[in-house]
Amino acid sequence: MYQEKEDYQSWICDKCQKELELTKVKVHYLEGEFEVELLNCPTCHQVFINESLALGKMAEVEQGLEDK
Amino acid sequence: MDLDKLLETGDRCIFKEPPTCAANCPVHLEIIEFISEIEKGDFQKAYKLMEKKIPFHRIIGQICDHPCESFCVRSEAGGAISISELEKAVLEYGAAKPKKVWPVPKKKGKVAVIGAGLSGLTVAVDLDKKGYEIVLYEKTDRLGGRLWDHIGESLKEDNLSEELKLVKDKGISIQFNQELNKNRLTDLLSEYDAVYLGSGGWDEQLEFDPKTFQVGELNLFVGGGIVTRNDSVIFSASSGRRAALSIERYLSKVSLTDSREREGIFETPLKQDVSETEVIIKVEKQSSIYSKEEAIQEAKRCIKCQCRKCMDGCNHLRKFDMSPYAYVRQINHSERIILGTHYANKMINSCTECGLCKEECFLDISMKDVIQDTRESMVERNKMPVSAHDFALKDMAFSNSSRFSLVRKQPSKEQSKDLFYYPLISFSDYVKGLYHGTGKTEYLFYPGCQLPASYPDDVKSIYEYLVGHVKGDVGIYLGCCGAPADWAGRQDLMGENIEAIKKVWEEMERPTFILACSSCIRVFEKYLPEIKVQSLWDIYAEKGLPNKDQIKIPQTLSIHDACGTRENSDLHESVRKIVSKLGYNIEELKYSRERTKCCGYGGLVYYANREQSDGFVAERIQESPHDILVYCTMCKDLFVSGGKRTFHLIDLIYPKDNEDGAVKKMPTLSERHQNRSQVKRSLLKEVWNEDVDEPAQDDYQLVIPESVRQNMEDRYILMEDIQAVVKNAQESRKRFFNPESGDYLASLKREHVTFWVQYAQDDDKVLIRNVYSHRMEIVEE
Repeated sequence: MYQEKEDYQSWICDKCQKELELTKVKVHYLEGEFEVELLNCPTCHQVFINESLALGKMAEVEQGLEDK
Repeated sequence: MDLDKLLETGDRCIFKEPPTCAANCPVHLEIIEFISEIEKGDFQKAYKLMEKKIPFHRIIGQICDHPCESFCVRSEAGGAISISELEKAVLEYGAAKPKKVWPVPKKKGKVAVIGAGLSGLTVAVDLDKKGYEIVLYEKTDRLGGRLWDHIGESLKEDNLSEELKLVKDKGISIQFNQELNKNRLTDLLSEYDAVYLGSGGWDEQLEFDPKTFQVGELNLFVGGGIVTRNDSVIFSASSGRRAALSIERYLSKVSLTDSREREGIFETPLKQDVSETEVIIKVEKQSSIYSKEEAIQEAKRCIKCQCRKCMDGCNHLRKFDMSPYAYVRQINHSERIILGTHYANKMINSCTECGLCKEECFLDISMKDVIQDTRESMVERNKMPVSAHDFALKDMAFSNSSRFSLVRKQPSKEQSKDLFYYPLISFSDYVKGLYHGTGKTEYLFYPGCQLPASYPDDVKSIYEYLVGHVKGDVGIYLGCCGAPADWAGRQDLMGENIEAIKKVWEEMERPTFILACSSCIRVFEKYLPEIKVQSLWDIYAEKGLPNKDQIKIPQTLSIHDACGTRENSDLHESVRKIVSKLGYNIEELKYSRERTKCCGYGGLVYYANREQSDGFVAERIQESPHDILVYCTMCKDLFVSGGKRTFHLIDLIYPKDNEDGAVKKMPTLSERHQNRSQVKRSLLKEVWNEDVDEPAQDDYQLVIPESVRQNMEDRYILMEDIQAVVKNAQESRKRFFNPESGDYLASLKREHVTFWVQYAQDDDKVLIRNVYSHRMEIVEE
């Protein structure tokens, strides 16, 4: 899973007013756990997931894990 | 899951069984494939199929007595396919030089073949090819035996001589002018490893095995006229080929009988229904042999017999191109996977479990039952994809929560004076009906979850009608029967639900349930056989309709029966009676009553595979030029969404002024919830005079454009999900901000799903730009 730059470049964390950074984040679903580079706030670490990621790669991985 | 039983079910499917022509061809030419090649104009490939299966195909192809043709099912629809004429055409247009075969070293044993007629020659050539040393004994001075009697228009002397010369060219040893008798045979039996006797002139009685053609325990095998007892060339060739196989097995010291069930001719279980096949007359040849074009036209008449009745009726089986035979194998494979991907999951969740396959199958193979067992097994093994049925199960939980669920006895006479005690006025004909309650709940009206969701304004009218028309008190019970849990294979939830319903039934002193929904009827029959049920439509048919003059413009309707009612022919009659009484004409669909199709909602396919669901809808709605009449809410909603004018019986029985019922749109998922809650509140208020809490005011006033509404439907996102996300974001400021657009983007995890909402604020309004969700979780460090 990865995020295209243009997908996120204009978003900032509203609470911390910080620009988002790409760092490794742990995600899990069912029996699967991975580390992926996702955009998040450097201060509060809330993770940004846009539509194309949620409905694209993420959905694909979810489907794959559900069929395991 | 009992996988042996599963495989047995699949093996009963005759999809892969051979057609009657091939089963009655003693050498089993693959006739459908053969004809298909001709149809494509590929005479060379057709020729190769003849070469592969027919001994001395260049001879037999000209003189075969074609038993296949008398079994051709096309005979009932224009005449049997002229298979023998097609073979002659293929020999003419597709013949290729025989492949050069290098002689195999003759090390496997010595075989004497007595009689150089067709069967003997077949044995000699077949065994020579396999590496046996053959000596042919012939009483005359030439090869071919009775084949020479067939010289005529088709088989020319030159051709026969040429073919027979090929035998000599192989280097098979031939001894002519050999008169054989019993003593000589005894000598040969000790001299050779095996002896084949195919001479039609043999007078001695021989006892032989009808399957292996072995004489007693001897190294002697028979064929030709001794076995066939007729003049058929193709049976003679077949007997030679079968005897050769026996000899080979005998000399290799392996079982003579294993896996030989379908040698020679046999009865195929395949049955082809030609009742709807268009009659096409046999193509007559214009000269002594079919021209290429004539052969192609004749080949086109072939029905290509194959049982596809279930597939013809089922969009799902066709979409996945699965016969029950293949489907069961896929399920078996999927059930056995320990580590790896269960690729069949989506397919298994795309069956509507409507039961048409079983209805169409003369062997009663029920994929509905197979799929149900499979889903239950998947759930048990924790292999059911969660997302497939999650929303439907949440919807069921909603319906059984206090937001919808309700049980009430009929209000007393005093309480309900205004509601039910109504004077009979001729033109209104019991709009509400007379009060004739008894205090004992004889009936419990159970409208199900989808009727109140789609027709919230009519539930009270139906209830009033029932109270006025049936003998005894009518209570009401709002809730969900559990059909979603059943379809999802969730026996755990189903069990709980059934117990809850049973408890109400007992508490109400075992009333008869009046059901409006065909899925409820199915569930009650399956899980609650002790509860007596009656269909709402049967009551309308029996007691009369509440309003007169409903019909405005007489028209013709096609009735789409609900698949849950497949076996309920009384209900089908009631519906037709109501429709006729209302003044409509009926034009039946090809697939109706016990052969009806599913609209595409059944089996929760609507949630698990929307594309498959759409496939069912699209196919069904184009089956009639007329408006469709349904009596299941989901059928109505799906057909209207598909763009087809569709009436629900409720649209006709309780018509609304200024509204065309046939185009009434399906409420959104959120509206379905709201409608159900509204039904509960208005019944409590208006029928039972109870105080009810008004629903809590929404926190935010949402402005949602049509495109986002569509996304909500496709992505199973409710208004309450959006409200919750916005509330959380507004209060915590945990959200993202886009300085360029001024939009916010916020998320909130609710149960197993994380919802994202992109929105903008406009004074007191929240403008929703987009919504989406995912199930994967971010692990908070």
